[in-house]
Amino acid sequence: MIGCYDFCGHYEWTFGWLERAGGHALVREYWNEAINHDSQRHARDLIRNEGIPGMLKYWGHTLLEESPDLGFNISHREDVFRIDFHDCPSRGFLLRNGLKNYRDYCDHCMGWTGPMLREAGYVIDHEHNHLGQCWWEVRPASGTGGQAAPGAVAGAKDVRLRPDWPKDPALLDRYCKANDPDAKLGGTRKE
Amino acid sequence: MSAPNPSELPYVDTKPQGSADFYYATNATFRFLIGRLGREGWVRYLEELGRGYFSPVNDRWRAGGLPAVARYWRAFFDAEPGARVEVQALSDRVEVRVHECPAIKHLRAGGREIVGEFCQHCYHLGTARTEAAGLTMRLHGDNGSCRHTYATAAAVLPPQDMNDIAEARS
Repeated sequence: MIGCYDFCGHYEWTFGWLERAGGHALVREYWNEAINHDSQRHARDLIRNEGIPGMLKYWGHTLLEESPDLGFNISHREDVFRIDFHDCPSRGFLLRNGLKNYRDYCDHCMGWTGPMLREAGYVIDHEHNHLGQCWWEVRPASGTGGQAAPGAVAGAKDVRLRPDWPKDPALLDRYCKANDPDAKLGGTRKE
Repeated sequence: MSAPNPSELPYVDTKPQGSADFYYATNATFRFLIGRLGREGWVRYLEELGRGYFSPVNDRWRAGGLPAVARYWRAFFDAEPGARVEVQALSDRVEVRVHECPAIKHLRAGGREIVGEFCQHCYHLGTARTEAAGLTMRLHGDNGSCRHTYATAAAVLPPQDMNDIAEARS
């Protein structure tokens, strides 16, 4: 049986298998069709119907299940929803167990949430360091707000205030007002 | 529920059980693979997953035989939320009696359309894993409750009858 305890392990393995079977396009289609439109349809429906309050409900529930020791922080204002991951439960599982079958596991988050949030009318600012730390800001696509300054939304729990957060932008994968997993800016560090 | 024995599992998390919502993703992955690559592609995926991702388990089964198989399944189902399972170790086989499959249970509770072939995944995955370990696997499934048999050659099990694996229903 395929279990849920080590889900992140066989999920990551599946990305590599799909890429070998059908190329990058098949991986993208998997994230959008299987994860966004099928597996996570409860998230999709909630966020399309309720916007930022729906994001609070969905991620508040799912991250507490995945990371009961609170390796994350959720914050928000009227026009922005933000998550800071200090210890991503998913990437952390792979790092602790030495698992790697796909070139950049972290891409899967933008792979399914990007299209989901586009369909709901939102865009994403995001950075990740491949080591289990990242941040996300979600704003209405019609808005004009830019990335918040470190600490402006999440206070002291802003991951960018960590002493080990890279100062060199080249060490971060970055997205700006994006919804597409391939709209990555910069970043030279590989997993 | 008892905490899983991490020494019996190849990959270990910091929490005692997984998040049941991930069963939604497994079901959706099967639907996607069957839709895009056909049933043959889905079986090939499961076989390669069994030989590749699960190779640390297969190696332990090959080295430790049936006692290692029994220990693994006890630890495995301890880590799956909602499972009601008995594992019985006999001289030539291990019987895993799944009284309530945690995946089928959660998919039904969540109102998900269960892929008809869902229960067959245990057979295709299990066969790839046992072949790698020098063992044999058979499955008698019943849409949410089933019996897995992991055996040595001495058990001389009859061939798998695929009609013994019922189609999963939502």
